[in-house]
Amino acid sequence: MAERGIEIVSADHAPELRTPWHERALPYLLLAPAVLVLLLLTIYPLIYAVTVSLQTRAGAWTLANFTRLFADRFFLTALLQTLIYTLAALIAEFLLGLGLALLLDSQIRARNLFRSLLLIPMMLPPVVVAVIWRLIYNPNFGAINGTLKSWGLNTDKLTWLASPRMALPSVILVDIWQWTPFMFLILLAGLQAIPQEPYEAALIDGSSPWQTFRHVTLPLLKPAILIALLLRTMDLLRIFDQVFILTQGGPGFATETVSLYIYKTAFRFFDFGYAAAMSFVLLVLINFISVGYIRLLKRQEKV
Amino acid sequence: MSILSLNHHADLEVRSSAFRRAFSRRTTRLKAELRTLHLHRDGLVITTALFAAALWLAVFSAACGRRSGQTELTIAVNSGVEGDGLKAAAKDYQAERGVKVTIAEFPYANLFEKELVDAVNRTGAYDLILLDDPWFPRFTSEEQHLADLEPLYQSRGSPGPDEDFVKTSLALCRHPYGTGKLYALPYVGNSQLFFYRKDLFEKYGLRPPAQWDDVLTAARTITEKEKIHGYTMRGAQGNPVASDFLPLFWAFGAEMFDAAGRPTVNSPEGVAALKFMLELGKYSPPGYVSFNADEVAAHLLQGTAAQTINWPAWISAFSDPAKSKVLGKVEFTTMPGQKRPGQAEIGNWLLAIPQAARNQEASFDFLLWATSAEQMRQSALRGNPPTRVSVFNDPEMRAKYPAFPVQLKSLETSRPRPRTPLWNEIENAFGIFLSKANSGELTPEAAMNQANEELSRILARGH
Repeated sequence: MAERGIEIVSADHAPELRTPWHERALPYLLLAPAVLVLLLLTIYPLIYAVTVSLQTRAGAWTLANFTRLFADRFFLTALLQTLIYTLAALIAEFLLGLGLALLLDSQIRARNLFRSLLLIPMMLPPVVVAVIWRLIYNPNFGAINGTLKSWGLNTDKLTWLASPRMALPSVILVDIWQWTPFMFLILLAGLQAIPQEPYEAALIDGSSPWQTFRHVTLPLLKPAILIALLLRTMDLLRIFDQVFILTQGGPGFATETVSLYIYKTAFRFFDFGYAAAMSFVLLVLINFISVGYIRLLKRQEKV
Repeated sequence: MSILSLNHHADLEVRSSAFRRAFSRRTTRLKAELRTLHLHRDGLVITTALFAAALWLAVFSAACGRRSGQTELTIAVNSGVEGDGLKAAAKDYQAERGVKVTIAEFPYANLFEKELVDAVNRTGAYDLILLDDPWFPRFTSEEQHLADLEPLYQSRGSPGPDEDFVKTSLALCRHPYGTGKLYALPYVGNSQLFFYRKDLFEKYGLRPPAQWDDVLTAARTITEKEKIHGYTMRGAQGNPVASDFLPLFWAFGAEMFDAAGRPTVNSPEGVAALKFMLELGKYSPPGYVSFNADEVAAHLLQGTAAQTINWPAWISAFSDPAKSKVLGKVEFTTMPGQKRPGQAEIGNWLLAIPQAARNQEASFDFLLWATSAEQMRQSALRGNPPTRVSVFNDPEMRAKYPAFPVQLKSLETSRPRPRTPLWNEIENAFGIFLSKANSGELTPEAAMNQANEELSRILARGH
């Protein structure tokens, strides 16, 4: 192994690999279309959005859009609710996903059937899921209240999406239903990538199942866990479609999220400057959290 | 553990070096292949540049070439029954006049944005635009983004729009409202109607809903005796709850703004109207706080609710045996009154010419044609309520649409939402606090006070 390593390093510095400039330029040339598309579709709109957020409608430079954020109780409430939503859904999806992954990583019967079935919610378009759940939650015709009524329970107070207290948990539940499979999928892939040897070693050393899980499975699964959490966190912080269909942010302001408020500000109130400022804040927030995850991931690799 | 990760590390290095070698090998091979095609490095650069230039040229000529040659009209419409109607009309116009008409169709939520961006930037992408009437002040109140129609009428030797248009509809097209210059013509004439179960009203000897008090009495009686819900409404946050509340609010003598434009929703009349709405809520299906038009209509069609406010688009469903369990039992009438005579909220679609439209004469010709009595009849047959008295009164149309007399009466007595360019934001904030009161989160007084504060803030900020 070490010998090969040395050989490769020396090959890297070998004079015959010093290529002329045009040959070195070729990879960049081949990359250029992709970079160009990225610049046009991502970097340019980002710069444009920042510009818009720093301007008044008339085009003068201003910080008013950003100072307004801190006094806007709608924005602050939406931000708080988005964080609650993200945290609650993330924890529930992670624990459920991990449990399912562990269960279906072991040798049980009809394992492949269960695995496929579990992925169905994730494959449905979020809009379809939201419409289905809107019907399920319907206090008068819906499946939940219908079932409870058939058991002789009084469901008049169970209005789900129409209740200021139950609306947010109800919306979060839909997210959990749909996206737990995603956690499950990544964690299962992570589990299956773990080699058998450390388990055998643990067994020989006489570790208990809990010790094995805590000291073998979890550390080796950490990269998969971090990636799953990173992707879900980014998605959750931007949550829009389910809320848009299920409640439109209501009742009152109980389920408004930042993305929904940005959408309304931009496309209903037509205040692009303020919407851009909020989007920028959301972007910075998502970036901070992502960088945190990525640092953890890198630290893990170095160990 | 440590051995494992070491292994892993070395493995990665081997893999990445191997990859680098493979890549470099492949590059060399690729280059050789390119050479055999006589595409050496300069050739590659030149080809790329030529290709880029050709692409630009193609895009550029496509963008510029659109306006050459004969007259062509582009109309921005919503995807929905109104836009579909205009699309069908455009086809007829093209066949009749030989003018090519292109329809640019957008979902309701995007249409306003597209039209406003075009109007504000004077791009001239659209020759005509179909507008929902609450958007109109945004196009006219600060800067004129729409073409003044009077000079266009005059150039045709006509003094202006004829008297056949419903006055409340035409008033929407002027800025300032009712008295100012004309910037559009009304194309679709919607206004809210009151739907109620005539059979149950007769069964219990209830007075027809002329006053909101009658509505509440009937709601209570029917809920108690029929075991169905006496009333139902759109309680969903934002536009739905605000739309269903305004007729009640106005009937109680409340106003959203005083003469100086300051918000007055927390007036005693306003609070009384909200309290009355909560009373009606007691006889509405549980969860009405999240209802939109479809849920409200479903309750009435299924026979599980007895009264509601809704839009004319739902009328036809009640005579469709596939959808309605209450065939022939639902009656449509004008808005109940209370302290004041009842007034419905008007919701018209207007057709206007952006100021930057390149061929205003041609646009105006289409505008006049589409809003003529003959075309509006066609439009009504395609499912869009007309804005002309003669079409509402046409005996043939009345036979086909029995609710037309009531629709006309409702339209003639209807009232616009407050005319401000900030309406969408104001309606949203107002709707949030109405929803908070309906869901029990705030008392009616607190909800109205907070709504008033929020409206003041929006107005102070402007936009």
